Amino acid sequence: MNKPEKPDQIQVLSPWSEIDPIPLKTPALRLNGLSGKKIGLFANHKRAARPMLEVVEKWMQEKFPDITLEMYIGTETNVPEMWTRGREKFEKWIDDVDGVVLAVGD
Amino acid sequence: MYDAIAVEQRDTPTATLVNTGFITDSKSASGLQGIPGLRTVPETVPCECSVQGVIEENILKSMNDVVTALTTPLTEQEKHPVQKQADASRIIFSGDYTEINRFFYRRGWGDGLPLVPPTEAAVREMLQGTDLPSDHLVGKLEPRFGKATIEKIAINAVMAGALPTHLPVIIATVKGLADKTSGFGTYGCSTGSWSPHTVVNGPIRDEIHINYGSGALSPGNIANAAIGRAISLIAKNIAGARKGVEDMGVQGNPAKYSQVMGEDEAGSPWEPEHVGRGFAASDSTVTLFFPNCYDQLWPFGTDEKGILSGIIYNLMPGNSNALTLIVLTQNHARTLADAGWDKDKICTFISLNASTPAYRHPSFYGTNIGIENKPAMPINAMDPVLLVRNKKNLRIIVAGGPGSFIGRHTSSSLLGDFVTYKIDVPQNWQTLVQKYKNLVPKYEI
Repeated sequence: MNKPEKPDQIQVLSPWSEIDPIPLKTPALRLNGLSGKKIGLFANHKRAARPMLEVVEKWMQEKFPDITLEMYIGTETNVPEMWTRGREKFEKWIDDVDGVVLAVGD
Repeated sequence: MYDAIAVEQRDTPTATLVNTGFITDSKSASGLQGIPGLRTVPETVPCECSVQGVIEENILKSMNDVVTALTTPLTEQEKHPVQKQADASRIIFSGDYTEINRFFYRRGWGDGLPLVPPTEAAVREMLQGTDLPSDHLVGKLEPRFGKATIEKIAINAVMAGALPTHLPVIIATVKGLADKTSGFGTYGCSTGSWSPHTVVNGPIRDEIHINYGSGALSPGNIANAAIGRAISLIAKNIAGARKGVEDMGVQGNPAKYSQVMGEDEAGSPWEPEHVGRGFAASDSTVTLFFPNCYDQLWPFGTDEKGILSGIIYNLMPGNSNALTLIVLTQNHARTLADAGWDKDKICTFISLNASTPAYRHPSFYGTNIGIENKPAMPINAMDPVLLVRNKKNLRIIVAGGPGSFIGRHTSSSLLGDFVTYKIDVPQNWQTLVQKYKNLVPKYEI
C-alpha cells in the first residue's frame, strides 16, 4: 500500500482475521451405482431432518430393492457428531456404509 | 456441514440435503473445512417443517439429484480444489474518512453505522489497554476459526469507538467467545438470532463507567455501547459470522449492535454474580451468554408474592429449560431479601413453580426442537409442565433504575451455557482510568 497522496488521506489496518492455512481435500470417490450398496442416513437434531430421511429411505428402498439403508441420529443438539460422546460409534458407522445421505433439516 | 465433512474424510461419499436458503452458508462451511467440492443437494422443504406430506412432496423432487451426487464421478474442479487467496495485508486501505467507511462497508466489515478509522496511531493508543503483545492469540473464533490476536481485537475496538480502558473487557469477552462451553460457534450462526449479552461485575464497572442503573441497556454510555459494538464487529470480522452467509438468524436481532450491562452490586442485598461463580469481590469479570429475546415484566405486586408471580407466570413456554437471566431492580431485590430470599432460593422457586399447561408446550405436539432436554409430557393437556427444570439455567442480577419493571433475557440451553471470565487490566491501569474518568455525559436539566 502506497503512502497517502493527499493530506486528508489516512491509512487503516485490516480488521479481518487471519486463519491457519486450510489443507484442501478432494471429496471421496463416488459410487458406481447404488445397487447392492449400504447407504447411511444421517439426521441431525432439527425436527425435519429425520422425516426427510425417512422419505429418502422409502424412495431408495423402492428404487433399489437390494440396497441396505441404516439411519443414524446425532447424539447432541447442534454439536458436530465428532465432538460428542457418540464419536466412536459414528466412526464405526461411517466405516460400515458405502455412502451417506445427510439431512440438515433447516 | 461438519458431519458431512467427517464422513468424507473417512473416504465415504456424501450427499447432503440443504434447504435452498442455506446453500451459500453450506458452501462457506465446506470451504472453511477444506472440502469446497462437498456435494450438496438443494431441497425445498419449508424450514423445520413438521408436516410429513409437505416434506415428502419436496424431498421426492430432489431424489434424482441425491443419486447423482453419490454416483457421478468427481469433476476436475472437485478433484483439484483451488485455495482462495485472502488479502492478508495489514494496512488494507488509504483514503479519507468517507472513503474508508465506504470501503469497509463494501467489504462487509461494518454494522451499517459509521466506523472510527483504525489507523496505526489509534490502534497503538487502544493497545494501552493491555500488557499483552499485539500478536498474542486470545483464541480462534468459529465459524471461520479466525485468529483473535490482540491487534485484531484492538482494531475492531477502535472501529467501534471504544476507549483503551474498554479493551480489557473486550479481551475477556473474546475469551468467552472462544470457549466452546459458551456455544458462540453455534449461537453466532444459528437461525435463532442469538446475540452476545455481557454482564460486567467488579470494580472496573465504576472505573470505566459501565451503566448498571437507569437505562443500562439503552444507548448513551460509551462503555456499554462501544464494548458491545466491538464484540459485534469481532463476531463478524474475526469470527467470520457474516449476516446471511454464516449468521443465518431468521429475524435478526437489534441486540447484536450492543448488549452490555453491569450489575448494581452496591444496590444489591446479595452477593454479586461473579462472587457466586467463585471469583473474589475485588475481581472484575464478564459473564457472557446469548439470549435472543428480552422482555420486561411488570410484577403483579411489589411484595414477594407479586414479584415472584410476575416472574414465574411470564416465563416462555416455547423455549423449554432456557438459559434465563432475570434482572431485578434494587427495590424488588430488597423486598425479597427482607423476606428471606437469596439468589439461589429464587432460582429454586422458579424451577419448581414456573410451569405451563402441557398444551402450551411444543413437546406436547412432539415437535420440540432438539433431542435433549425434552420433558416427559403429561397425558392431559391441562396438566402442568415445568419450564425451567434445571435451576442452574437461571441467573439473577440486580440492575436498572427507579421503577418496577423486571428484565428477562432468554436464551437456549441446547447450544451452550453461561461463561464467566476474569478481566485482566494492564499495569498502567490507574493512569489510564484517570485519563478517561471525566468522559461522562452530563445532561442539563
